[in-house]
Amino acid sequence: MDIAVLVKQSLDVQELRVDQDTGKIYIEDAPTKAGDIELNATEEAVRLKEKLGGKAIAIMLSTGGASGKRQKEAREALTRVLAMGLDGAVLIMGEGAEKGDTYVIAKALAEEIRDKFGLVLAAEGSEDNFSGLLPARLAAELGWPYVAYATAIEVEGDHVKVTRSLEDFEEVVRVKFPAVISVTQEINKPRVPKLVEIVKAKKKPLDQKDFSPPVEPKLTIRELKVPKVERKQIVIEGDVEEAAEKLIQALKEEGVL
Amino acid sequence: MKVLAFSHSMDLALELVSAGRELGDVSLLVTSDQEGRINEVKGAKEVLLCKGLDSGDQEGLVELISGLASDYEVVLLASDRRGRELVGQVAHRLGASSAVDVSSLSVEDGKLVVERMTFGGKAIAVEEMSLPAVISVQKGKFKPPEEGEPSVREVSAPSIERRVEVIERKEKPKVGVPLDKAEIVVAVGRGFRKKEDLKLAYELADVLGGVVGATRPVAADLKWMEEEVWIGISGVRIAPKLLIVVGASGQQQFAAGIMDSKVVVAVNTDSKAPIFEQADYGVVMDLYEFLPVLTKKLKEIKGG
Repeated sequence: MDIAVLVKQSLDVQELRVDQDTGKIYIEDAPTKAGDIELNATEEAVRLKEKLGGKAIAIMLSTGGASGKRQKEAREALTRVLAMGLDGAVLIMGEGAEKGDTYVIAKALAEEIRDKFGLVLAAEGSEDNFSGLLPARLAAELGWPYVAYATAIEVEGDHVKVTRSLEDFEEVVRVKFPAVISVTQEINKPRVPKLVEIVKAKKKPLDQKDFSPPVEPKLTIRELKVPKVERKQIVIEGDVEEAAEKLIQALKEEGVL
Repeated sequence: MKVLAFSHSMDLALELVSAGRELGDVSLLVTSDQEGRINEVKGAKEVLLCKGLDSGDQEGLVELISGLASDYEVVLLASDRRGRELVGQVAHRLGASSAVDVSSLSVEDGKLVVERMTFGGKAIAVEEMSLPAVISVQKGKFKPPEEGEPSVREVSAPSIERRVEVIERKEKPKVGVPLDKAEIVVAVGRGFRKKEDLKLAYELADVLGGVVGATRPVAADLKWMEEEVWIGISGVRIAPKLLIVVGASGQQQFAAGIMDSKVVVAVNTDSKAPIFEQADYGVVMDLYEFLPVLTKKLKEIKGG
């Protein structure tokens, strides 16, 4: 049975520059990457594929537009997960993909996944948007069961045992294949590929396909605003004793002590 | 607009009623395990009581909510983990638009407009949603209504084949005052060299009557603390009166989790750490030197 790993071309939010004064968000300038939790999903796929006896393939539907820069970055992100041990990758890209919402993307991904895979692994949320909507929608589109927030996955014959972490308790569920499972960062520690593995990854099959939206989106982003977080940013000077006293004084004046 | 609401947590369900009233009449779905708290529901038009379904049955809930939703324009769910798990599934079943963790919702020219945080807290997206829409509402943004007795109508449970079987459920250890309700929080980061040193943070929290939380590396990678105290976008989002961040650099995932704090203090040896941009008061010092002195002085004040 083959495993599909969903990898999103996410904005690297750490590197994203925003201007508090003008409200400008420099999206085009920010680099993109595979999300951290997607590396956990990849790691889990590499571990599980031995037990399931099939291949593990990364699938990326890029919504970053089709510029040369974004294309290069998308391929780099996929090389990264291929170097961790995935067998191949599918990159779906095209003009117009930027307007795709989770409804559109789920429909398009389902066409790529249905009949080809028995298990889909995803991150509980993407690096830049963290909604977790896509795997849930994909499961509904495929008509497969969905289990989110996995912290452990064990294969037991024709089903998997999934431990998942919820706010107040941990739950262990048994689910039959085919299924969609989203993982959390606690599930494993992603391996760091060696240079030789990165070199080899560049020779693995990377199948690039053109994207054309199968349906119209249900949601449009009207505006992106920079939140007004006004912090005083006062640096407390002095030696240890003075600093402690000044801080206590300031907190008293704030009325929080 | 007609609104259908549901949460696994009755406390969050009451917040959803309040959020839904911004849009129209609210019907709140209540499952068998929640029936005992039905009289706490105020401000909803009606309660839909399903005696044949427990809130632990996610597949049953997807089926039930998707079925009921045909009579409504908007479905509101909570932004806890199980609530968010339902949003995408229900939305897709309905061919509906979806958004999670929204902080505001309104109707403008017949269009449903919501706001939500994105890009790890660096931006707020204002989104126009087509109807029907399925939305999860950010926790703590809406106060439960205090008045208005709803009518109660029973609805029947769906009969479907379950493909996910719950075989075990383990309560997590309680961590005292939950972080998201604490008034004073001390957050610890990688600046602590070993687990035993965290006692410096606990001593500070003790004298302030606060609780200790952690950044992701401390909670998840090093496993020095329970996951439940992990502050950040995928952990707990906090809103204390006073937050003291010690030895954390201020990565974006963490920063997004502390945005609603009233006063933020940062202690870090690196004057260039991003945490200082997110703080009201910055102390550029070694936490091992500064914390004991701060704690001692606070003890003197509180003691006398």
